[in-house]
Amino acid sequence: MNFSQQAINGLVIGSGYACVALGWTILLGAARLVNFAHGQMYMLAAFICWFILTRAGVSYPVAAVASIVAMALLGVVMQLTMNRLVMTQNLTSLMIVTLGFGYILQGSAGLLFGGAPHTMTTGLAQKQIRIGEVWFTQQDILILVVTLVLYAVIWLLLKRTRQGSIIRSVAEDPKLAQLFGIDSRAVYVGVFVLEAVLVAISAVLVAPRTPILTSMGFEEVITTFVVVVLGGIGNVAGALIVGMALGVFTAFFGALVSPAYTTAAIFAVMLAFLIVRPGGLNTR
Amino acid sequence: MTKLDVERVVSKIDRPAEYRRPLALLAVLCGCIAIYLLPAWLGGSTAMYGLFVMIAILAVMALGVDLVLSYLGEVSLGHTIFWAIGGYAAAILSTTWNVNGWVTATAAIALSLMAAALLGLATLRAREFVFSLVTYAAAVVIAEITFNTDALGGSDGIVGIPALRLPLGFAVFTGRSSADLWPVAFALLLLSLLFVARFRRSRLGTEALMVQMNTPLATSSGLDAHRVRFLVFVVSAPITALAGWLYAYQRAYVGPDMFDMYFLTMMLTSIILVGKRILLASTIGVTLLLIQQNYLSIGGDGNKIVLGGVLVLMLVLWPQGLARLLGDIFTMIVRAVSGRWSRVRTSEAASGKRLRNGE
Repeated sequence: MNFSQQAINGLVIGSGYACVALGWTILLGAARLVNFAHGQMYMLAAFICWFILTRAGVSYPVAAVASIVAMALLGVVMQLTMNRLVMTQNLTSLMIVTLGFGYILQGSAGLLFGGAPHTMTTGLAQKQIRIGEVWFTQQDILILVVTLVLYAVIWLLLKRTRQGSIIRSVAEDPKLAQLFGIDSRAVYVGVFVLEAVLVAISAVLVAPRTPILTSMGFEEVITTFVVVVLGGIGNVAGALIVGMALGVFTAFFGALVSPAYTTAAIFAVMLAFLIVRPGGLNTR
Repeated sequence: MTKLDVERVVSKIDRPAEYRRPLALLAVLCGCIAIYLLPAWLGGSTAMYGLFVMIAILAVMALGVDLVLSYLGEVSLGHTIFWAIGGYAAAILSTTWNVNGWVTATAAIALSLMAAALLGLATLRAREFVFSLVTYAAAVVIAEITFNTDALGGSDGIVGIPALRLPLGFAVFTGRSSADLWPVAFALLLLSLLFVARFRRSRLGTEALMVQMNTPLATSSGLDAHRVRFLVFVVSAPITALAGWLYAYQRAYVGPDMFDMYFLTMMLTSIILVGKRILLASTIGVTLLLIQQNYLSIGGDGNKIVLGGVLVLMLVLWPQGLARLLGDIFTMIVRAVSGRWSRVRTSEAASGKRLRNGE
């Protein structure tokens, strides 16, 4: 086994995990919302990007932006549908509603794009960079850089801006926030659109690494869960650390033991962690 | 409509104790016999028996989830594990050692109890979405392990499950086709319903409701909330496992598709459609959904949109389910007929609105 190559692979995989998990982290931490359709939204964003790339013949960035805009619109529709449940903080019903949305998205994607696997080819994924014995693609660098930038921006948004404190106040108590003249509904819509946009960004970046399938949402979401739960619910910095660590773990587990059982191994790590530290990396 | 009226309407469905009266018991008995004979009256074709057996199987499957959802208020997304355990226990034991149905059913119950105990311990302190996340993750992981393990049939699953054989002492029941299996499926559904009806009057059922409605009060009354939650979760598992057990015999095949989102969505939608804490909710819900999928099908992907759409729309528009909605409408009609409608209209509208808001 090439140690440095696996370490690089791990960081790339990990930045992908962290990138996919970012939208969920914000949704959960800043708005106390859960979204079981996250995996299917990831799938749909990847398919929209793939569809535009192959059918319209436009360049990768144009297709990516179109996919992100489409997902933002979908985010608005989803949030408006569940607005009453969100305002009453009916978490159990919300969870089931998003599960239902996920199933609708999966069915719609099946109707629109069929059941066959596809690969999304971007120019960057073919450009390899070799340093000594280690190699990676330009797409890998793009994922890593965008993930770090996104995390920095989101962290600053939540902690250092007025909009961030509005979001956090709504998360604490939507009714009380309304008394102070904050439109909680609009904030929830905004946060959900942010989640949709972030999941779309992660999809157009990460999906080119693997074949895409309309049924992939079910499994895709698992590492996101682990990252969010272990990072400490809504802890942005925690999610980044856990995402990266899980990526490295995945790379080495795949190389040393078996790539087929990596999800199971990640899950075992999560269970062990939950028993020792139910709150994840949260220090509060 | 006052709160009391609502409770009177709901209690008719909600309280099996009412059935103790001999007349009601007779009516229930006649109803059971009628339903048992229904597939024969409806033509008795293979497809008709197949539909009825499937309704019974999926209704029993959903009953396990119903127990957790209605009595703990938690959403278990891991019940597909128990469903698959039932199916795989039947498949592996009957193909490898050719044992009879009692043995495979016992194994299904024992294995699902063990799995539920493990999962229950791991999620003991987890509430709400963490509980759902961990159970969901467990299901995905076990699906992956099943998919990759050759001893469990891998991605191909296990084919050639023999006919269900149940020695009854005086005779041996053997069933292969849906028509043969209908008595077993019907009996399983009845037994599961009786079990849940018994559960809701049991000490554990009452304790579970107390814990769900007011955990601090339950704890201060000397209840161990963790213990109650753990026990309810464990008790719910074998119900779903037995459904999976019969499903394996009916299809003569099991595979990793038992972990499909379809079953998970079906369990939740059937309960949400009719309403929580209603004994027959899963049976009625599954019946309605399967009739759509069999007779009003718009293709596999289209049916997914319908199933997910029903789930979303019910929770957004009538979170109390169809039973409550029909109860409301029924009471309104009764009022209208008895001529009191005009006098109570204003308060009716107000209380109806409050009800729909879940107050």
